[in-house]
Order: sequence, then structure tokens, then C-alpha cells
Amino acid sequence: MNILFVMERRVNAGSIQALANYIQEGKNIGHTLAVYGNPDSQLSEIYFSNEVHLFDYAVFVFESRLNWVSGLQLAHLLTIVPRSRRVILDADGMYNPVIALDGYDRNHAGERERQRWVSSYEALADRIVQPTLWPCQSQVQSLLFYGYESRRRAVQACWHAKHVDIMHVGHNWWRWREVSERLLPAIERMRGAFGDICFVGLWWDAPPVWAAAIGQEAAFSVNPQRLRELGIRVLPAVPYRDVISTMSKARINIMTQRPLFRRLGLVTSKYFEIFSADTLPLMMIDPEHAEQIYGPSGRDLVLHDDIASKLLDVLEQPKKYQEVVQAVRRHLTAHHSYERRLHELIEMLDGRQPAVKAG
Amino acid sequence: MKLLLISKLARSSRAINTITQYSRVAGELGHKIAVFGEKQLDFPELQFSLDVPAFDIAIFIIYMPSDFPDLPYLASLLDGMPKSRRVIIDCSGRYNETIRVEHDFNHLEKMDGHQGWEWIEAFQSVADRILQPTLTPRRDDVGSFLFHGYDPEGVVHPVASAAEATQHWCRSKKYGVAYVGNNWQRWTQVQRFLEAIGPIHQKLGPIALVGWDWKRRPDWAVQMGIKGADVDPEFLQQLDVETGDAIPFTELPGFLSNARFCPIFQRPLFNELGLVTNRLFETLIADTIPLVMVPEPLAESIYGPAVRPLLPTNDIGSWLQDIIRNPEPYWEAILRVRQHLTLHHSYHQRLTELIAMLGA
Repeated sequence: MNILFVMERRVNAGSIQALANYIQEGKNIGHTLAVYGNPDSQLSEIYFSNEVHLFDYAVFVFESRLNWVSGLQLAHLLTIVPRSRRVILDADGMYNPVIALDGYDRNHAGERERQRWVSSYEALADRIVQPTLWPCQSQVQSLLFYGYESRRRAVQACWHAKHVDIMHVGHNWWRWREVSERLLPAIERMRGAFGDICFVGLWWDAPPVWAAAIGQEAAFSVNPQRLRELGIRVLPAVPYRDVISTMSKARINIMTQRPLFRRLGLVTSKYFEIFSADTLPLMMIDPEHAEQIYGPSGRDLVLHDDIASKLLDVLEQPKKYQEVVQAVRRHLTAHHSYERRLHELIEMLDGRQPAVKAG
Repeated sequence: MKLLLISKLARSSRAINTITQYSRVAGELGHKIAVFGEKQLDFPELQFSLDVPAFDIAIFIIYMPSDFPDLPYLASLLDGMPKSRRVIIDCSGRYNETIRVEHDFNHLEKMDGHQGWEWIEAFQSVADRILQPTLTPRRDDVGSFLFHGYDPEGVVHPVASAAEATQHWCRSKKYGVAYVGNNWQRWTQVQRFLEAIGPIHQKLGPIALVGWDWKRRPDWAVQMGIKGADVDPEFLQQLDVETGDAIPFTELPGFLSNARFCPIFQRPLFNELGLVTNRLFETLIADTIPLVMVPEPLAESIYGPAVRPLLPTNDIGSWLQDIIRNPEPYWEAILRVRQHLTLHHSYHQRLTELIAMLGA
């Protein structure tokens, strides 16, 4: 099967890591997968193609922006690829009612914006999938999409050779409230017990200048002074191909997720990358969701109640947690490898996967 | 026939006047025209519709990528109207091999990210029929359709004779020379023209340049290394040239009528491809003497042979002084050109041509 992904190119965000894996996995088992467009020197590992007619399906990957594709390209695509062969991956849960959480995170600013997304999706394709186990809309199919690089393992370094105790890799996009209200107080409480702490990603030092212009100041809210006071270093974002090696520099990596994604059960690349890294992953997600994705051992790696004590325990007893991580990796290899994910994608495109009903 | 026009509308650029004129004459000729999209309050002159199946033909009026609608509209449009009933009017010669004239291009990859082949493939996939507003399309698979036209009823100061026109024109006007058009690929010609009239500019009266980016080269052009928006503010200051922002299309004939002379410039690319624009026709309805600064073959093919006195001589300064001394023959030429335009290029004529072409 030949599958063309149509997506916004972002070297350090979004779904690019997954795409690189799909393309490679496709090669291994004789399918051609490509990203629509001209080759890009910043994304030399990605196979790009403009030969739309050679592909059986076009999978439109939508994240937080709707009209990122040029009208010229879209007109060409929509004419060549009939509606029945278009599928939408709704990565950010935009195909849902307006969901606003505690007056903070939200999928849409209001009903008008939601209508625009919904009508766009419905005009574009018959099939919409979301990377969650429980889509809220009956018309949406579940397809986790993101997966685990089962054949990849970061170079193992000695626990004591690592210079960073705690790392967080991810952009400050709807994350500040949880970081500032749950994670930072825990770090503050036992700061002396931890060594170097790094936040890697965009907008931890300042919100982007265009935040207000797009009405998204809250999404980028940050207090860099507080991070400085806690001795937390902020490092620039890294390209997707360096995420795992960057995570591997730290003994512990913490994964946070924006509240909306947690509510919708949306998974991202980060769910799986963190287990490919040579690190002890700890996730700030709901324990039930951790178990659903990572297997029973996943619960043991959740930062839930006493975050400070958990961080300390992991640093003091790494071997215990390394065994838990190994168990999760085995679960991910069995259930969430990209090889498996590609099969699921093909089955879904073939129409062999039943739609998941609203849960 | 029911025609659905697709275009990104702006009140001071591209095809807005032409689209409004088509809408006006369609009713008179028993046709229906609407612009695809939700009602836009800025354009009370136009009908809008999203009801794609209610139309016979969809006509894409394309200057740039954003002339294709955003989602969700593009998807419902393309899925609702078969390719055989879609037409593209390629207003700026995108559907050609890449052509460079001076520093003007038909494919501006630096600005819109699209290479030449993308335009070709996209146009071929979207529509079975591609039209260009030139009498001389370069490609065999392109039809000639001038698209823009002349509105005889829009003449600002209708006159019965050249003598009457002369008498009216000789009254005081705010400007000696006014040019309305955006600073995009026109500076070389404008500069040459201003240099030529420099020695007599005080005799002519104030000079005005109205449109985007005449005050200075915009930052984006500097950052992207694009020369198409060059301008020399010091030189303009030496001639006391007044610069102003773009004006809405509805104000254009009135504004031009405030000037004794209005040069007509086109982008070098347009001159090379013989592409016509709305300004070629619109300037002729103003109460001004048009200075037709486009190549003679193109000018004659549109305006007819009567245009010759309105074409520049080698000595532009002397030419303008001669017009001032003895304007009546020039007004005679203008009135004959207006007759020619009424006969051959009215919007009635144009829409009739379009309908015949689409029906064929």
C-alpha cells in the first residue's frame, strides 16, 4: 500500500518523529510511505513526494492549526485524491465539542472556531481517527498512531556518569499550570536532594512574541524567574531525531501533558520516545491511562501524589525502577511497536478496523 | 448561465472591480453570478453563495495561492463541482514556464514557496480549461480571454466632443500627475517616467503615487532579498511626490480624475506576456489624459489605432508640454479609444464572450 501523509513540517514538534518511523517501517515490509511536498534539507531522513497519483491514500495530519496547507497544494491534492481515499488524523482532538478545562486549556476558543474545524474535517474526508483509546465522537475511530521504536535503544551509559538528574523535554504549550502547581513545588521541597535539572524546549524562557496576536497568551504562560530561582536550566528545543539522545543524558525524564490531551486520552510521540531513551521515565498522567498504554507496570512510573518522594525514591533506587522500565518496554514492544502500528494503519485504511464507539 | 466566482477579495487590489462589473451586467444579460463564500459585509455590491450544486460553472480567478479558498470551503467546492465544469482564469501568467523579465517573475518561490511545476500541476488537476487575459497565450492548452473590461456607463465626466472635454480638463486639478497602483515590479518604469518629467514637474503640478509601499521599500522585501518593491524615497522627495496608501476600487475613477495625467504602467512580466489588467480599462473612464506606458503592440491591440497619440514619445517632457499646449487632439484620441473600448471591450461584450466560451 502507498500512503501519503499531508502534514505541517515542524522539525522539533508534532508528529514528525512518528512519520520518520512509519516511512522506515514501510520500507521494511514493502509499503511506500511518504510525506507530501518537496524534499527538505532539514528533514533529510524523510521521504517526500509530490507524485500524489502514485498513492492509495492521503492521511491528513492536523495538529493545532487548520489552514497550514497552501491553497495551491490543497487544490491539487483534493482533485487527485478522491474523498473516499482521504483520512484525517486529528492529533489534537479538535473534532470534539468545545472543551475548556478550568478556564485554562481548551481545544477551541469558542463554538464558531469549533464549527470551522468540524466542517473542514467533514468536508475533507469520510474518516477521522484520533490517537486515543476512547474517542468521544461516535464518528471517530481510534488509532493510536504514535508508537514505540522497538528496535531502537539508546546507548546505555553508566547511571553515575550522567550529569543531569532530572530533565523535561517538551515545549511550554499549555503546560505551565501543571508544572508550576505540581512539579515545581515538589522540586522546591527537596531541591537540595537533586542535582542538575533541565527543561528542554521552546517557550520556557519567554512566551513567543506572537502569542497575543493569535489570542493564545494563556497557552504560553511562564515565569522564567521561578525556574531560575530553582536552579532549573532552560535549554533550546532539539530536532526530533535528537530527542532520545537528549533524554538519555538525564537519570530521570519527566513527561507532562497538556490537560486537554489528558482529558481526551490522546497519546503523542513523547509517550513512547521516553522509553527508547536511556533514562528512567516518569509520567505525569493518570495512573489508569498509564496502565492502558504501558501495561500494569506503567502505574509504578506515574508521578501522581507525592511527587517529591517519588523523584527521590527513583534516584535512590534506580535498579528497582530499571526493572519496571524493562517490563514496560516489553509491553510496548508487544503492543505498540511501529511495526504493529503500521499494520493497524493499513487495516484501518482497508476498512478492516471497526470504528470505536464513543466511550 | 449560473457562474460561481472564486477569488480572495480585497477592496484595493486584484480583480475586485472586474468581479463587481460582471455581477452588475450578469443580471442585465439574464445570467447569475455569485462569489463563492459566506457573505462578506465589506462587499455589499456582490452576491455570495456556498451552494455549489446550484451553479453551472466554477471560475477560479487566480493571482496567488491564497485565491484558492481555505478549508472547509475548498474541499466542498472541489467535491461539489466536477473538473469539467471548473475554469481557471490565470491573471498573472502562473501557468507558463518560469519567465523572468528584469526582476519580475511569474513564479515567486521565495515569496509563496511554490515552484513553477506546482502551478502547472495544480492548474491541470483543478480545471479542464485554463484562460489567460492575453491575446497571445504561450501555451497551446490555454485559451485567450481578456477577462477585464470597460464600463462605458462609468465614465466620470461624459462629454459630447473633444472640445468640451478639453474645456473641462483645463480647469484646475489637484494633481498634475497621479499614478494608482501598488509598488510591485513597477519602480523601474515609474522612476524612468519621473526622471523624464522631473525638469517640468513644477509646470505639471503635484505628483501623486498611490498604493502599497511607495513610501519605502518594505521590510519583508529587504529581508527576503526581493527587488520587486524597490523605491527611492529621496528621489521622490526631490520631486515633492505625494505618496498615499491604496484606495478602494470604488474611489479610483474619482481619484484619477483629480489629475491632468495618469500614466498606465504594467509589470514587465505582464507586458512580456501581453496580459491585461483592470487598470488598462479603468483609467479610460476617468476625467484625465491617460499616458499609455505599455508596449505599443499591446496598446494598439486593446485600444485600437486611435491610441497612438497617447503612447509616449522619446521625449516624455516635450510630449506632456505639447498636450498641455494643445490638448484637444489628445482628447479626440481618448474619445475614439473610448468608442473602441465600448464596442470591443465592454463588460457586456466580455461576459457574452465568456458565456459563449463556456457553453461551447
